[in-house]
Amino acid sequence: MIESTMFTAAFVFYIFSTVVYFGSLFARRVKWAGAGLVLALAGLAFHTAALVSRTVTSGRAPFTNMYESVSFFAWATVVVFVVIDRRFRLPKIGPYVMLVVLALVALASSPLMPKDVAPLVPALQSYWLWLHVSVTLIGEAFFAVAFVTSILYLTADSEEKKAKMDAVSYRAVAIGFPLFTLGGLVFGMIWAFRAWGAYWSWDPKEVWTLITWFVFALYLHTRILMGWKGKRSAIVAIIGFLSAMFTYFGVNYLLSSLHSYL
Amino acid sequence: MRSVWKSFASVRLAVFLIILLALASVIGTLIPQGRSFEEYAARYGELAGLLVRLQLTRLYSSTWFLTLLFLFAVNTTVCTVSRLGPKLRRAFGPAPATDAASVAAMRFNGRLRLSGPPAPARDRVSKELGSRRYRVKAAAKEDGTVLLARKRRLGWFGSEAVHFGLLVILAGGIVSGLGGRRASLALLEGQTADVPHADFQVRLESFETEYYPQGGVKAWKSTVTVLEDGRDVLTEVIKVNHPLVHRGFHFYQTSYGWDWERPSLEIVVGLKDEPDSARSVSLRTGERVSVDDFGLTHLAVRRFVPDFVIGEGNRVQTRSWQPRNPAALVEAWAGEERVFAGWIFANFPDFEGSHGDDRSGLFFVLKDFQAPQYSVLQAAKDPGADLIWLGCLFVTAGLGLAFYWAPREIRVVLEDVPGGTEATLGGFASKERDIFRSEFEAVIETLRRMS
Repeated sequence: MIESTMFTAAFVFYIFSTVVYFGSLFARRVKWAGAGLVLALAGLAFHTAALVSRTVTSGRAPFTNMYESVSFFAWATVVVFVVIDRRFRLPKIGPYVMLVVLALVALASSPLMPKDVAPLVPALQSYWLWLHVSVTLIGEAFFAVAFVTSILYLTADSEEKKAKMDAVSYRAVAIGFPLFTLGGLVFGMIWAFRAWGAYWSWDPKEVWTLITWFVFALYLHTRILMGWKGKRSAIVAIIGFLSAMFTYFGVNYLLSSLHSYL
Repeated sequence: MRSVWKSFASVRLAVFLIILLALASVIGTLIPQGRSFEEYAARYGELAGLLVRLQLTRLYSSTWFLTLLFLFAVNTTVCTVSRLGPKLRRAFGPAPATDAASVAAMRFNGRLRLSGPPAPARDRVSKELGSRRYRVKAAAKEDGTVLLARKRRLGWFGSEAVHFGLLVILAGGIVSGLGGRRASLALLEGQTADVPHADFQVRLESFETEYYPQGGVKAWKSTVTVLEDGRDVLTEVIKVNHPLVHRGFHFYQTSYGWDWERPSLEIVVGLKDEPDSARSVSLRTGERVSVDDFGLTHLAVRRFVPDFVIGEGNRVQTRSWQPRNPAALVEAWAGEERVFAGWIFANFPDFEGSHGDDRSGLFFVLKDFQAPQYSVLQAAKDPGADLIWLGCLFVTAGLGLAFYWAPREIRVVLEDVPGGTEATLGGFASKERDIFRSEFEAVIETLRRMS
């Protein structure tokens, strides 16, 4: 009960934040962006409370089904956005990142995703649940920010803005890639070895994680060693994020996978 | 030979191979892998033959996919080795013979006049850089000294560590593929079985399913004893996520079930008109038990199914091996005359699917059924797993080095000039340049204050 109220409050604040951010963008009032950030932080506070409340009442990690994990992913994306926004002073990415967050929170709230606290099935009863899911999703939150900045690169009209978006995309991938590798592949293999009896089974979820990893490996190699920058890099980063999202959602709904929890 | 080496040292080839591997992997997830030919024929029609011939139905172990992986491994090795020499020199080599002009052309640079002759000035600069954890190497040149100060030198080798880790992982995959052993053991409670490819045995002591109070399975627990030369050596509970490990073998809880061949049943028989007359009879499938009451001579259970369903041709079948709708085919005899024959259902005690020859005036209820449970364990020996973990360690450490341990370098050319020493500083950092800039400026500031 507390959890769903907190979650709804977070949703409402995220909506306000997005509206104010877009207002700042279209009315060309830079100061409003500050208000957008404050509203996003208020939403984040409620969202954190919702996640903590669910963890306490259920007594386990707050990402054991689609609803919980999408909510956590949205939360991580806000955190990553706030960190990057503070570090690089980028009020312009606020509206678009918040739009992605809003889409995720709306998806989590939709009736497609049951919200009841189900007891943990045997396969998920492991501390690797905490490590594997949280690190992977935080890594993917960085990819989400890189996705937004890459799209903004493609649509930007000034060279200065383009250069900034390009640099931020790279920074986000540079942080997200090690986390994604560690959480998604390394922790995933260790857990698969303990729970399923094989570290790698060419399960569609595993293969798509590897495909996503290939795409971002490509991003880094073309950029660092072949001098790709700007448009081509942006396109690779966008493909990488879409591949990560297909791994997350598409594999569960379109392909048959052993990894059927989320 | 040289040109072969060169082409394998190319990053373009690496990019090309990564794209091919990614695309092949996508195809492997779109076509279900490792199914029977009939399934492919039903799904793809005439294309099925082609898919099988192109090995697309077992893509990840196909010759061409393994060839791609092999080329990828060679490419990674050659790329890494060919860049190793220059990187080693850059990280650990001696101070280069350079001059003030080229140092001043570096990305970060500065120039200042130090008081006093070159030797003490050089020591001051070395000490200042040393206090900031730089390792300093000096080289003399005709009109002065060159200092090369470096820190976080391992940062040069982040990508090398990642690549090495990937090669170790691939090697681990080969070892797993060639030396891995996997077998499924279905054990009834109390049953002992040889572990394939091993010289010990396992016995299932008990199997138990725990449920949550609100429903849903909480745990499947197999209590297993390992026997060596007929002696018990250890007993452990195997659960999902908690395999038993013994002599390189892992035992995993994978499945469970009941042996429905000869379950023990309890059937209640009574007169329809007098419910109090009921008495219960215990028997197994196929068994005939004498009953003295109700004018019967004996009772028999012809068949038992755990999940009753009427299938094709009105034949009774079981839909699953779970006891979802247990049913028994019961016959009651009075001497040579069969007075009752019909299916009775544990879940529907009031329903008697009689075959029409119910002349007994009796009711039959399937009260209880017990079948021995078996547990399915996977016994796996995977000699490649340790290599995989080693490779993962290198990949993770390498990524950490590559992205968060950027090497820094400061070069100083000291030249003897009238009234002191002229110092030209140049700085380089492959990443985190903002942090390096402030460090570089702080070095110059400290040196300026000292003189």
